[in-house]
Amino acid sequence: MGGDGTMASQPAPRNQTPAIVGAIALGILLLLPLAVKDEYYLHVCIGMMYFAYMASAWNIVCGYTGQLSLGHSALCGIGGYISTLLFINAGVSPWIGMLIGGVGATGVGVLVGWPCFRLRGPYFALTTIAFAEILRIWTENTEEFLGIQLRGAQGISVPLRGERPWLFQFDGKAPYYYIILGMLLAVMAVTWWMERSRLGFYLKAIRGDQDAAEALGINSTRYLLSAMALSSFLTALGGSFYAQFFRYINPERNMGLDLSIELALMGIVGGQGTVLGPVLGAFLLTPAGEITRATLGGKFPGLHLVIYGLVLVLAMLFLPRGLIQPIRRLLGRRAAPAEGEADLA
Amino acid sequence: MSPFEILLENFLQALTAGVLVGTIYGVMCVGLGLIFGVMRVINFAHGSFLMIGLFIPYWLWLLFRIDPYLSMLVTAPALFGLGYLIQATLIAPLYRRERAMVLEPLSVLMLTAGVGLIIDNLTFMAFGPDFRGITLDFASKALWIGDILNINYTRLIAFLSSIAITVALSLFLGRTDLGRAIRSTAQNRDAASLCGINVMRIYNVTFGLGCAVLGVVGCLMIPFYLVSPSIGLAFGVRSFITVVLGGIGSIPGCILGGLILGVVESVAAQFVTATSASIFSFVIFILVLFFRPTGLMGMKV
Amino acid sequence: MPLLEVKDIGKSFGGLQAVRRLSFAVESGEILGIIGPNGAGKTTAFNMIAGYFPPDTGAIRFKGEDITGLKPWDISQRKVARTFQLSKPFGDLTVLENAMVGGFHHQGSRRAARRKAEEVLGFVGMGAQAAVEAHTLTATDRKRLELARCLATDPELLLLDEVVAGATPAEAVAMMEIIRKIRDRGVTIIMVEHVMRVVMGLSHRVLVLHHGETIAVGEPQAVSKDPLVLKAYLGERYGKA
Repeated sequence: MGGDGTMASQPAPRNQTPAIVGAIALGILLLLPLAVKDEYYLHVCIGMMYFAYMASAWNIVCGYTGQLSLGHSALCGIGGYISTLLFINAGVSPWIGMLIGGVGATGVGVLVGWPCFRLRGPYFALTTIAFAEILRIWTENTEEFLGIQLRGAQGISVPLRGERPWLFQFDGKAPYYYIILGMLLAVMAVTWWMERSRLGFYLKAIRGDQDAAEALGINSTRYLLSAMALSSFLTALGGSFYAQFFRYINPERNMGLDLSIELALMGIVGGQGTVLGPVLGAFLLTPAGEITRATLGGKFPGLHLVIYGLVLVLAMLFLPRGLIQPIRRLLGRRAAPAEGEADLA
Repeated sequence: MSPFEILLENFLQALTAGVLVGTIYGVMCVGLGLIFGVMRVINFAHGSFLMIGLFIPYWLWLLFRIDPYLSMLVTAPALFGLGYLIQATLIAPLYRRERAMVLEPLSVLMLTAGVGLIIDNLTFMAFGPDFRGITLDFASKALWIGDILNINYTRLIAFLSSIAITVALSLFLGRTDLGRAIRSTAQNRDAASLCGINVMRIYNVTFGLGCAVLGVVGCLMIPFYLVSPSIGLAFGVRSFITVVLGGIGSIPGCILGGLILGVVESVAAQFVTATSASIFSFVIFILVLFFRPTGLMGMKV
Repeated sequence: MPLLEVKDIGKSFGGLQAVRRLSFAVESGEILGIIGPNGAGKTTAFNMIAGYFPPDTGAIRFKGEDITGLKPWDISQRKVARTFQLSKPFGDLTVLENAMVGGFHHQGSRRAARRKAEEVLGFVGMGAQAAVEAHTLTATDRKRLELARCLATDPELLLLDEVVAGATPAEAVAMMEIIRKIRDRGVTIIMVEHVMRVVMGLSHRVLVLHHGETIAVGEPQAVSKDPLVLKAYLGERYGKA
């Protein structure tokens, strides 16, 4: 995975090396479940891709608008809860529930984003924390709402139904692997498309200087909220996947500040504002965390978080634009997040 | 007693508790407000520093039976040193860099978040998740006002000391040379630098000072507050809310913010669960940010 | 009918009245200079016209249409462009991409935006730097890029905010040339300026603000001799670039 290390020994024409590397990486990812039969390792890989997906969804708004959201876990939780509650109480297939959850989260995201985008910098971040915490605390303390069992801090379990593909449940891990892989590729494609679209162009301008962009005719509210809507929808889908794969969601894990920070961490360490950055961040940090937990976790609980913190501090000091930067330079691309070869004509 | 009298008594008790704890919140935030006012840094590790400020007197008491009010003499300098060190080694480079290029100002926020993660989890690794506290001899004794108000002595000491700290800090900032240097750096760092003020040193000192306050507050709180490695983030978030509520750059504002939060949560806890009560704090925070972004008493953002 | 009509606009911040009952009109094709000592309210007035914030009182009409309180992007849509005192180019983008930002919205297609961007860059003399990354530009080049960005939106009214601030005399002369050329394209210009030589040299009429109010308006020669104006400026040095 992340075969960026495999390079041609002489400088290849710019447009070929990344494509070759990408194809190899994709091939590895697609064939992985055939080679790895151990359920534990497959589980870890699924976790990796889940975080890569979530960090990428987060990146759609935070990498391209310059605002830092530390409340994205709320959107994840909304997605997970809506799809699960619809499944348990109304028998709605989680495939559909996922989409409904996505729409719900989009509504919340846009509604909250609309006043929030007026705030700049750390104030925006703090407000996103506030909104997410309100949701989490409310959910934690609510046993029942409008007749629906929310079970508060206990969380909700997804009932086991066995091999039921149309109810988003499978016996083995491999189907889940391919689903999350598909979702990851999809979110990367969406990000790639967005970067090159008019929306992406305007977002770059807004991020550069919002006042100047507005004075040139860009309705910043509309475009910032568009990014927010996209990100919210995709994040919620991830939350539904989580619910279906782990078959359990609760406010602390799925709506908590810890998750939000983790997503931001991976996105930033990997490289905000790029397609590969968050994926890189997740692919590096998740296995590192998992290995640490597995080997030393018994004696040193929480060590993996110390490592995350250390990586974050080091990244901010030495590679503030993310690990993706040196890799981009290696591949001969421009250092700035914007893709020079995105031919704007 | 009639139901009304019971309600009133509960309300007064809640109000008192709110004022007591709110003042402590306020003092806790003075450090954060100072750091943000001078350096525009949101210190995400603020809560983690407080947690250390609680653990040091805890261990000094547990191991050597040192009175927490006495361990201030150790805790405050220790935290000053820690804060100074972190600012000088980790944050200062970012500062120097940001002047040169166009960079995300949020990198400092994430850096301190990383520091917080490290501190929280190293402590977790060392001490485990349990909540710990100490019991002083007079901890259960209380001051009675009339027949209805009951104020625990340890909280009373913390309350009065908080006021003393606030006054002392205000005097320090207002009357001493160093204090004035800090204030002028906060207002205009370029001008201060032109006047011969070593801005980086001021930053280091300010950060250290902000953390030292936490050391004192920790010693005041440990007689009645349980500490665990998990409280860092919650306290940090709570502190940000208070600072924004009260207004950046205003010490009385921090106290006011803390009081409002303390009272609102305390009174709300009469009607909903204690954890739910914190929702009100967040709601107030959001409303203040939208309608009065400079805070209740703050200077321009 | 005047191109721009400002009637009785006022704005206060907290307790401070930055602008009070300001009225003036701008005819199509003219260059109006707005001068005044520091704190006179020039930039505040400017920002109100540009939609950066709404006036507390009064109204602003552009080509007969009431544009008071409109958002900056709506005002841009109506062919009013403005520069900023602290010009920050969009750092991640190249010079050409910077110029395209304005063009995009008003031209419709990428191709048209690109062509427009190339044209305006040539106009301000930055055609050779099209592929340069904007954050590497010198201060003067940034100002020129800012002008180009505005011109890409095909404005009828251009608001210039201290566009020669910090320029050397040679640079100021070059900038004046560009402004004249812009005016020759049929763009009406309002310029807020401190540098007397530039303002007096370019403007058809000059408006003098002091404490948020007009104290004089008229041709540059007349205004520069106005006793009220001289009093307001007592102690200020003229024409320092």
